[in-house]
Amino acid sequence: MVLADLGRKINGALQSMSKANVIDEKVVDDMLKEICKALMESDINIKLIQSLRKNVKASISLEENSGAANKRRNIQKAVMDELTRLVDPGVEAWKPKRGKANVIMFVGLQGSGKTTTCTKLASFYQRKGWKTCLVCTDTFRAGAFDQLKQNATKAKIPYYGSYTETDPVQLAHEGVSKFKKDNFEIIIVDTSGRHKQEQELFNEMQQISSAVNPDSTIFVMDGTIGQAADGQARAFKEAANVGSIIVTKMDGHAKGGGAISAVAATQCPIIFIGTGEHMHDLERFVPGPFISKMMGMGDISGLMET
Amino acid sequence: LLSFFKNMTGSKELTSENLEPIMSKMKEHLVNKNVAADIAQHLCDSVAKGLVGQTLGSFKSVQAHVKQSMEVALKRILTPKTSVDLLRDIAQAQAENRPYTIVFIGVNGVGKSTNLSKTAFWLLQNNLKVLIAACDTFRSGAVEQLRVHQRNLKALEQNAVVDLYEKGYGKDSAAIAKEAIASAKQSGHDVVLIDTAGRMQDNDPLMRALAKLVTVNNPDKIIFVGEALVGNEAVDQLTKFNAALKDFSGLANPRHIDGMILTKFDTIDDKVGAALSMTYTTGQPILFVGTGQTYTDLKNMKVSHVVASLLRD
Ligand SMILES: Nc1nc2c(ncn2[C@@H]2O[C@H](COP(=O)(O)OP(=O)(O)OP(=O)(O)O)[C@@H](O)[C@H]2O)c(=O)[nH]1
Ligand SMILES: Nc1nc2c(ncn2[C@@H]2O[C@H](COP(=O)(O)OP(=O)(O)OP(=O)(O)O)[C@@H](O)[C@H]2O)c(=O)[nH]1
Ligand SMILES: [Mg+2]
Ligand SMILES: [Mg+2]
Repeated sequence: MVLADLGRKINGALQSMSKANVIDEKVVDDMLKEICKALMESDINIKLIQSLRKNVKASISLEENSGAANKRRNIQKAVMDELTRLVDPGVEAWKPKRGKANVIMFVGLQGSGKTTTCTKLASFYQRKGWKTCLVCTDTFRAGAFDQLKQNATKAKIPYYGSYTETDPVQLAHEGVSKFKKDNFEIIIVDTSGRHKQEQELFNEMQQISSAVNPDSTIFVMDGTIGQAADGQARAFKEAANVGSIIVTKMDGHAKGGGAISAVAATQCPIIFIGTGEHMHDLERFVPGPFISKMMGMGDISGLMET
Repeated sequence: LLSFFKNMTGSKELTSENLEPIMSKMKEHLVNKNVAADIAQHLCDSVAKGLVGQTLGSFKSVQAHVKQSMEVALKRILTPKTSVDLLRDIAQAQAENRPYTIVFIGVNGVGKSTNLSKTAFWLLQNNLKVLIAACDTFRSGAVEQLRVHQRNLKALEQNAVVDLYEKGYGKDSAAIAKEAIASAKQSGHDVVLIDTAGRMQDNDPLMRALAKLVTVNNPDKIIFVGEALVGNEAVDQLTKFNAALKDFSGLANPRHIDGMILTKFDTIDDKVGAALSMTYTTGQPILFVGTGQTYTDLKNMKVSHVVASLLRD
């Protein structure tokens, strides 16, 4: 399971604290040290880790007269609250509406998995009975149109793209207009990979966005990303009005902490995770239950009764 | 310089206790630069160990000492232990009348095919004849991607000899590589660049298939392509790719990663820690860094730049 390893480590740290007879500053510091270590090993943004540490420390008053059990409960609650805040921005994810054209635009760094995930998501909606299609606006990457075309063909999803048109804005406009006219309900627009350091690429993204006026913009993030995640996520959010996040490549060993840190950076929810290269390797993600699952909530609530 | 050193007061003997707060800040500093957490820890431990027992008079010399030790440690790790001169090695193969073979391996989407094409461009500029072997027979569009690059490269360089050996999708990549090498020998190509499908390091069947490709073809160089964006996973990727080459080869003298290309170096500002994580884990050199999406965006890594970025506030 995603992040299970991190959950285990945090649990371990909380449990070792619960073994201590007296909860003094040293016990708390040791526990926090363990938790922060686990978070660092999972690529969680370092500033988030620092603020988590500060907030947990601030939320507990060691001087207070309450017994060890009470302190323990407060500390655990503070840790859980902080972790929940990491993955749950507390905003409702966008949902498509039946019987109208819902335009979804994919954006993200190079190679993060946009094109693959576009087809996965299209296939997801298609299976649920939506009239779904794909638009390729990646005129930059070699073989991009062939890639989308082959994926779409395999999934039997109508697609639009061109080998000769070089203007992504033009393609985006044409493709979306055409599919709107044909009464498609889910129109997914794939775009080239880009990064914040290249302003021209961001301008292009904004032009595509203006041309198709998306109902939702999805930021696709590679689950192995490290500390660069925060900066890139902020820049994409600012430039493209990102609404939600999909984290890919979670079938490996990565704990996805970099991508998770983008939640705090963008205040956008993670809606799906990619768990493989095949069409159906896409899982829905719901932040709330996720943390409890990750932490093996059974154990925690058990601890919290003490 | 690292502003947190300002907290340290001088005039006492350095012990692991009084160094601890500095070192733990130093660790966070390195993690923030995207150095894998474990490696940052090891590094801080070893630097601290070297400092313990020293008595430093003034505040300033503590600062200088810690920084200097860290700088030395970083430089040591990043400086390649083996020299790699691809052009010299290729000339050697030419003398032996055989094509020089390089395989590009790595996880999904890191830039294998693109940086293979940049490498092809560099080789063409050195008047070498290049054959690209399309051994990613899985990912949609992988073959067409290389076809486009091959055509572009041919159009870019007058008299360039760059061809594509492809057998479409769904085939055994080890066999295609073998055919490509044989074909290169026949047609007088100097270098065969073998593209492979991206794979997760935990995917057993795919890792076995990669080991087979290596065993069957015994390439001159195995280049691991990793992206500068990767965090802690860098360590696991490299360790497991090496382990697969070793464990699944069935050879008495198995192969390992010979060098690395660090891609997307243009997307990380000064968070250059992956360079350190990768060299620390393998002890192998970073042959090139990828600094963009065009053919000329393939550079030699400047160790001094990476060290300076790592230590910058
Ligand atoms: N293992 C695994 N691989 C994935 C997943 N999602 C995508 N990939 C792979 O990641 C690589 C890159 O995916 P693409 O869809 O081409 O990425 P992209 O963002 O469209 O790339 P650009 O258009 O070049 O920016 C491909 O090899 C995909 O098969 C996933 O969830 N798991
Ligand atoms: N900014 C930047 N982008 C790069 C660099 N190298 C490659 N890319 C981009 O990364 C994306 C993925 O590159 P590919 O070469 O297809 O990656 P791959 O490893 O072959 O992918 P798979 O075969 O699907 O595993 C493309 O959009 C490339 O243009 C680089 O150095 N900088
Ligand atoms: Mg794409
Ligand atoms: Mg490739």
